[in-house]
Amino acid sequence: MMISGGGGRSLWSSSTSSWVPTTSVSASGKRIQREMVELNNDPPPDCSAGPKGDNLYHWIATIIGTPGTPYQGGIFFLDIKFPSDYPFKPPQVVFKTRIYHCNVDPDGLVSMGILKDDWSPALTIAKVLLAVRSIFTNPDHYNAVVPGIAHLYSGDRAKHDGIAAEWTVRFAK
Amino acid sequence: MENRRMAVNGEQKRSPRNQKIPLADSNVQNMATLLSPRFKSAAAMAGWDEEALLLASLIVEDTPDRDSKHKRRSLLNSKSPSTNSSRKRRARKSSQKPIPVILDLDAEETPVKDSGRKKKEERVCVNNEGSKVGGDGNESKEKSPGAPSSSSSLPYIDKLRDELSCAICLEICFEPSTTPCGHSFCRKCLRSAADKCGKKCPKCRQLISNGRSCSVNTVLWNTIQILFPQEIEARKAAGSLNGRQQAQNMSPETAFYANLRNTSIQPSGGASSRNMNSRRSVAITSTQEDEDAALARRLQREIDEQSPGTNRSRPRMRARRGVSTSQHEDAALALRLQREEFIQTFRRSSQEQTIIRLPSSTFARENLRAMASRAVNLRTSDTRR
Repeated sequence: MMISGGGGRSLWSSSTSSWVPTTSVSASGKRIQREMVELNNDPPPDCSAGPKGDNLYHWIATIIGTPGTPYQGGIFFLDIKFPSDYPFKPPQVVFKTRIYHCNVDPDGLVSMGILKDDWSPALTIAKVLLAVRSIFTNPDHYNAVVPGIAHLYSGDRAKHDGIAAEWTVRFAK
Repeated sequence: MENRRMAVNGEQKRSPRNQKIPLADSNVQNMATLLSPRFKSAAAMAGWDEEALLLASLIVEDTPDRDSKHKRRSLLNSKSPSTNSSRKRRARKSSQKPIPVILDLDAEETPVKDSGRKKKEERVCVNNEGSKVGGDGNESKEKSPGAPSSSSSLPYIDKLRDELSCAICLEICFEPSTTPCGHSFCRKCLRSAADKCGKKCPKCRQLISNGRSCSVNTVLWNTIQILFPQEIEARKAAGSLNGRQQAQNMSPETAFYANLRNTSIQPSGGASSRNMNSRRSVAITSTQEDEDAALARRLQREIDEQSPGTNRSRPRMRARRGVSTSQHEDAALALRLQREEFIQTFRRSSQEQTIIRLPSSTFARENLRAMASRAVNLRTSDTRR
């Protein structure tokens, strides 16, 4: 029993070592690789994204603040974490650069419908980045995570924009 | 008068010639008809192949052609003195006839070989007549192998690729299934999307009534297979590799449990690691003692049928599956379990469940071990007999 067990274990470990590379190219891995290629070929405007290191499931992205908004001229870094069952579960998008925005919580977590219940497997990171970029111009103050900012946005837009621009200058340049 | 005489003489001179020629023609014709079978038999005896024979026959056929040119010339010459003698007409008719007749005869001679001969004639033509026909031949040659490769060089192939790729896996749709709202995805992708993300169309979020029983859009699937044969082949090959491992023992029961494993969140890290261990030991038996493993499986099934305990059945099922599956799948599962364990330890789920689950998994392991030893005993007793 012991001898057979030892032999079996060595066999098992050898099989895993030869098998591991194929696991990394699972359905989710393949899909993420495809997205990477497509992003490189046809990047969305003012956006860039790619794996942080050699981990395919952890990306870093940048969005340049849209001109005509208080975020103009800022470079915002985002962390994107893919779940193992991506694209059936949404990726987690976190602002690494501080931003004054009613849809971004103090930890930087982006709160959007499409990143929660409204996620669809047909969405890609390019589309997510475009959506994030769109909340620069049109904050969704009805579904805000920071009610104070949302209140200011709807009440005193000029003040809100002033603070947002100040934060952009201070943190994103 | 003299002129007339001359003309008459000329006519007389020509007329026998005209008469002779058809005779010669008929001779040639006869020769062709008479000789060719003999010639063929001789050729057959000499061991000539059909092509050589054909070449020879072409040479034979060439001769009357040259004669006919002579005839035409002579006919043209004899046209000026327009004495419409019936003889001449006959001569003219007969002189005109032979050429097609010979060809017809030739064709009729070998009706069976006809098609083959024609092809060969074409080939001979290509060889003999050089540039023009040869060019045609090249074109046709280019066309025939070019047909499949032309698909990849279609100008709108990239657009088609975008249009025919699945929005979920971003690859060319494999066995596309179309939703009631008209969007197509890989069947597998659509099914897992319906399982994990609710029965909504991934593209337009319309409700999909029967997300589980999606059928393949045949027209689309065939089109894709025609347009992207390489991609589909590659995916088929990859699929068969995976499928072989899974389909090996995918009875509805095991499929159900496999599904369960995929969808359900593991209750605890401890339990899953135990399961992994038990699976590992099972894998050992399966690789080293195949017969025993088979026996153990049978035994297990019997026991399973006898006592379908709700709590115990699941880990045992997994173990049972592990017996028959290949090492690779086993390793894959172990890895997945490990991953789940990781996730679980991070989540720190409720400890109560671990307490409930732990004994069941250990029980399963004990059970397996016992069965393996029983199997060994059974075999040894069999060999004794």
